[in-house]
Amino acid sequence: MIKVRNHAIPPWTWSFLAAVVVLVLTYIVSGRGGSQTITLAFTVAPYLVLVGLGQMLVMSAGPGNIDVSVAKVFSLGGLIAIAVGDVTGSWILGLGAAVGAGFAMASISVIAILYVRIPPIVATLATSLIASAISLTLAKGFQGSPDPMLKGFLNWAPLGIPAFAIMVLLFTLLVSVFLKRTIWGSQMLAVGQARRAAEYAGVNAKKTMVFVYLTCGVLAALAGALRASFSAPNVELGNDYLLDSIAVVVIGGTLMTGGRAVPAGVWGGALFFILLDGLLNLIGWSYAGQNVLKGFLVLAVLFLASGAPILGQRASPDPAKDEDVAEPEVKPLS
Amino acid sequence: MSTATLDQTRLSLPKGLARRVLPGFLTLIAMMLILLVCGTIQPRIWSQNGLTLIMSPIVALAIASMAQMVMMSIGDIDLGIGFFVGMITTIVATLLRDTPILGLLALAGSVLAYALLGALVQLRSVPSLIATLGASFVWLGMGLFVLPVPGGMAPDWLFKYAFWKPPLSIPAPLVTMVVATAVTWFVTRRTGLGVRFRSLGSNPVALVRSGGSLVITRMLAYAVVGVLGVLAGITLTAEIGGGDVNAVPGYTLTTVAAVILGGGMFTGGRAVAWGTLAGAITLGLLTVLLTLLSLSPNLQPAVQGFIVIAVLAGRLVVERMTR
Repeated sequence: MIKVRNHAIPPWTWSFLAAVVVLVLTYIVSGRGGSQTITLAFTVAPYLVLVGLGQMLVMSAGPGNIDVSVAKVFSLGGLIAIAVGDVTGSWILGLGAAVGAGFAMASISVIAILYVRIPPIVATLATSLIASAISLTLAKGFQGSPDPMLKGFLNWAPLGIPAFAIMVLLFTLLVSVFLKRTIWGSQMLAVGQARRAAEYAGVNAKKTMVFVYLTCGVLAALAGALRASFSAPNVELGNDYLLDSIAVVVIGGTLMTGGRAVPAGVWGGALFFILLDGLLNLIGWSYAGQNVLKGFLVLAVLFLASGAPILGQRASPDPAKDEDVAEPEVKPLS
Repeated sequence: MSTATLDQTRLSLPKGLARRVLPGFLTLIAMMLILLVCGTIQPRIWSQNGLTLIMSPIVALAIASMAQMVMMSIGDIDLGIGFFVGMITTIVATLLRDTPILGLLALAGSVLAYALLGALVQLRSVPSLIATLGASFVWLGMGLFVLPVPGGMAPDWLFKYAFWKPPLSIPAPLVTMVVATAVTWFVTRRTGLGVRFRSLGSNPVALVRSGGSLVITRMLAYAVVGVLGVLAGITLTAEIGGGDVNAVPGYTLTTVAAVILGGGMFTGGRAVAWGTLAGAITLGLLTVLLTLLSLSPNLQPAVQGFIVIAVLAGRLVVERMTR
């Protein structure tokens, strides 16, 4: 991973730049500065970041790896957390149940991918169908409300900085350190860069796949549980999180072809998306206009942020990339 | 192991034919089985009306799957096709009905937009997954501009099509699907354009060496996807009688599943029109079967998920046995 730093600009720059531009625009439009906008963004962003981090791990595990079940698992996590929390009276048990549900759903994906050899996008689609069926069954005559204490904590923002955001920020740092400094992290990225080469170097690629998909499922369910505690559980709570999580990860600089994970970029992308929503609401754009602009902005960011020179060849080998491939293979042996 | 080597020499002659056709063939068998079970439970589907009734909701899915198949044959994936088809229904149910010329221009514009998307993907080497994802926001927004709430009316000629009864008691939806598939099959497998699409997916360097342009080929492929998306939108409008941008967001992933069931690959280079048709019909018939089994609608998605896994698992077993 050290070689990635040779890039003149860190890959997460663009996402933060976009977020700052939107923030400045928001200040210009509203006519006043102030930290309220930032506080609000940091209250809502952590949920998207949690889902995004899971998606990032999956995507960096190699080409074709994607988890399209996050949205339904997110909703399922929310429903189960509130239901269990309501019955047992303990929000900790509720969160635990959500984590368990996420783990179970991700296990289905893992079994389908590794043992039935189904392409990840179809396997996780099947998982997503199963999760949505459970959610729909649960939601019938659903009763229960979020635990007031947990809800209070999620809304708690001392000095204008939400405490929950700090926790997720620390978790992001942890993921970052895990990817850069631990053997496990290097092995994971090695599998993402060149699976066969990594396997020859003694990395267990299967273990990596199990790890990333389970982590992604658990994070999505946990984020859903917390999001439901923040507002209210709902079958459609997670629907926006599928497209948003993928977009946020890629805008953040993570390579869709795998092998490069940028945890910081997930924050940049999430803040960009959430600030943008706020800005468009402020201007009073209709939901239709918001979507059109959001789409064009995503495309514009892609146009600017993509590394390829204009009129360059897709297939042209990138010398820097080759070095990346070589780097992590050495580590597991040493 | 002597049979294995025999098989290899036999299979290597028609280049990858068995590997290309087998998955679609297995899906076809699954489709027949589901149809037979449906027919056993409710014998009334064995009539022109019955078959029309169960097949008409599948037409748009089948054509959208063709679009996804073309996309996947060049190695890309379209995550915006669901909202694109939805947007087309809103255009057809309003503009095309009231001011046909404006409507046609809007439809042509949508195809052009797809071609431009292809240029973006090629020139800036943006992953298609994320570019089409970004575009899906645009489709959704545009559709909401045209029709903020579901409504509008299909043009009269579309209603005529919806009530069309072909001779020989052939169900009309089957005719539409087969024609659409045959055209897609012809374009992707029997024309130079199709060869270029597939080589873009499997070996872009070879495409450049043979004098093809990556940008133009990708733009053309995306334009074909756009045209098929428009056709899917038109047939969907005939089916639901109006326009709704949120009619079929699920198509995005269902079409991918249909192509995979039909024998397509994510890596590109494989165009399997007939297999995709079998895949789309199988997925569509599953809904019918589950309704006939009077399963709770809440549980239907789960059964659908399990069946997709089961079909693919069955294919794995058969492929291992034939190897």
